[in-house]
Amino acid sequence: MGDSQQVFSASGIPIQDLYTPEDIKDIDYDRDIGRAGQPPFTRGVYPTMYRGRLWTIRRLSGFNTPEETNKLYHEEYELGQTGFSVAPDISTVAGMDADDPRIAADIGHAGVPMSSLADVEATFDGLPIEKVSTYLADRCGAVNTAMYFVMAQNRGIDLQEIRGTTANDMLAWSVPSLVNQPPPEAYLRYAVDFMEWCAEHAPRWNPVSFDSYNARDCGLNAVQELGMLLATAIEYIETARKRGRVPLDRFVRRISFNTGVHNDFFEEIAKLRAARRMWYKIIRQRYGIEDPRCALFRVHVQSSGSTHTTQEPLNNVMRIAFQVLAGALGGAQSIHANGYDEGICLPTDEAMLLSIRTEQIAALESNVTNTIDPLGGSYYVESLTNQMEERAWQYVQQIEDMGGMAKALSSGWAYKEYSDATIEHERRLGTGETTVVGVNKFRLEKEVYEVPIFRWDPQAPYRQIEKLKKYKQQRDQSKLAGALGKLEAVTQEGGNVFPHVMEAVRCQATLGEISDVQLKAYGTWRRPFGV
Amino acid sequence: MDEKKIKILMAKPGLEGHWRGIIAVSAAFRDAGFEVVYGGHMRPPEIGATASQEDVDIVGLSILSSNYTRLVSETIKELKDRGKGDVMVLLGGIIYEEDFPALKDMGVAGVFVTGTPMEDIVEFVRKATS
Repeated sequence: MGDSQQVFSASGIPIQDLYTPEDIKDIDYDRDIGRAGQPPFTRGVYPTMYRGRLWTIRRLSGFNTPEETNKLYHEEYELGQTGFSVAPDISTVAGMDADDPRIAADIGHAGVPMSSLADVEATFDGLPIEKVSTYLADRCGAVNTAMYFVMAQNRGIDLQEIRGTTANDMLAWSVPSLVNQPPPEAYLRYAVDFMEWCAEHAPRWNPVSFDSYNARDCGLNAVQELGMLLATAIEYIETARKRGRVPLDRFVRRISFNTGVHNDFFEEIAKLRAARRMWYKIIRQRYGIEDPRCALFRVHVQSSGSTHTTQEPLNNVMRIAFQVLAGALGGAQSIHANGYDEGICLPTDEAMLLSIRTEQIAALESNVTNTIDPLGGSYYVESLTNQMEERAWQYVQQIEDMGGMAKALSSGWAYKEYSDATIEHERRLGTGETTVVGVNKFRLEKEVYEVPIFRWDPQAPYRQIEKLKKYKQQRDQSKLAGALGKLEAVTQEGGNVFPHVMEAVRCQATLGEISDVQLKAYGTWRRPFGV
Repeated sequence: MDEKKIKILMAKPGLEGHWRGIIAVSAAFRDAGFEVVYGGHMRPPEIGATASQEDVDIVGLSILSSNYTRLVSETIKELKDRGKGDVMVLLGGIIYEEDFPALKDMGVAGVFVTGTPMEDIVEFVRKATS
């Protein structure tokens, strides 16, 4: 080619200056691309895509207390949001109750505290949970989901009908530096228990959303992201296959995914297209599952918070819009546009409104939804999709060779990948190999934008602690002890723990108490972070 | 301090899970020739005890949730209680400018918000310890 300078995509794929029919001459349309809604689903999981149904617009949110989060959800519902995505706060993710003395300063940060059934009920008070679908970024063992299910039953809603998603994903769980967690093998066990239970009792609930968002946001590239995502999914299926408690086609039918959408526009689109084809191959070819519904890579995408800068925060509006567009052109089923103030604080009301409007403008004004997979057939995009697939398979293989994703985590290998990626990113920022406008390029001496800042309420923890103390006092202590004892016994014996988690919740056990049973059985695992 | 390596304890006093900043800064300190004790998540009393036991010159705190004022003040109190009030305390993360004066009053020597170039942080430590 005429251009002598080497150009690479964000994940290191060499990019030519021009693509021609020569670059896609080995593609067989029916075998490799096909129509939307037909194997191998490269162009989309549904035959009508956005002409049939627009992507779901929803944002992950939650803050301060259940009562204040509830107010926010009512507002989101009125704005036309069609589902809720619940972010639990730091203490909840750590499996600690609000009254745990170790966490006083951390309640209500980065999400809503949900220590008890009462907290979940307060979060969803007055909201029509039978009409919307809810996503719970739940901690290990789907304990908040158990609370959500018990709440639904108390409202007279049949769990056979309830719709939503539990994160339940080992990969996303593995990335943040969390205290008070069991080892990966334990996470895997609880996750698969929950999926098996849902296959029978909550068949419309998505019992897992394999989630590479956190992994991507810690600096991994799109190839690593896709590789770890699919390797994790494969390990869950392997675990269920070896157990043999639930037929595999039922186990995998409601699997869904969650990825980031990052800056490299076409690579992100290629990633989503490659992911659909790869998932089809895993389900159809590797596991021989014939039901095509099982082979659908249904995906929620979120704009990558790590690309959003603290400096000149309004620039993030543009980054988010491009990322939303990449998600739409990539055929996502659901999109979360971050607040432009992501690098500064939880989104203010203005930022939240703007992110919903960004999606609505992309969906309803730009006409990009008029036809399915508009980039299908592009020499470049098809070639990049092939490259992405080829490289991601190699990465999946590498992880499988070391014994699967749980081993890759417990051995520390994945953590080395995470921190290497972060350190490399900083190096590239320093040298200018990676450009971040307004940060390492065209940086201004002084910040020009004044943006409103969302301030967390320092009184919120006290309200939460008081409420929980009262809740704990009014319980039937002997019923509670019985339920927790049973849960502990089943945890040790190796049966499915989830129905016993539900029973413990009915007896008003708290998140911290249930989490302590997990830690007692498996021990606490310290994540191998370091330099 | 020209003969002795500068020794820095890097820790997160809160439960919040963002680690990119602390890892990146720890690596930059290590590459600059400082001795880094990577503590990761440590509650304030643990930070005080480790700073004392390891006899560090500097404690670097990383906080990306908005409860930093409380966490920093608890940590500094722990350091003072253990006779380590002379340790230099640095803070990195999402920190609002309007809180800088209060943090300085508390005894924080340097505040580095997200997006600060690594070399600026290293340079600050070099100058402050020379």
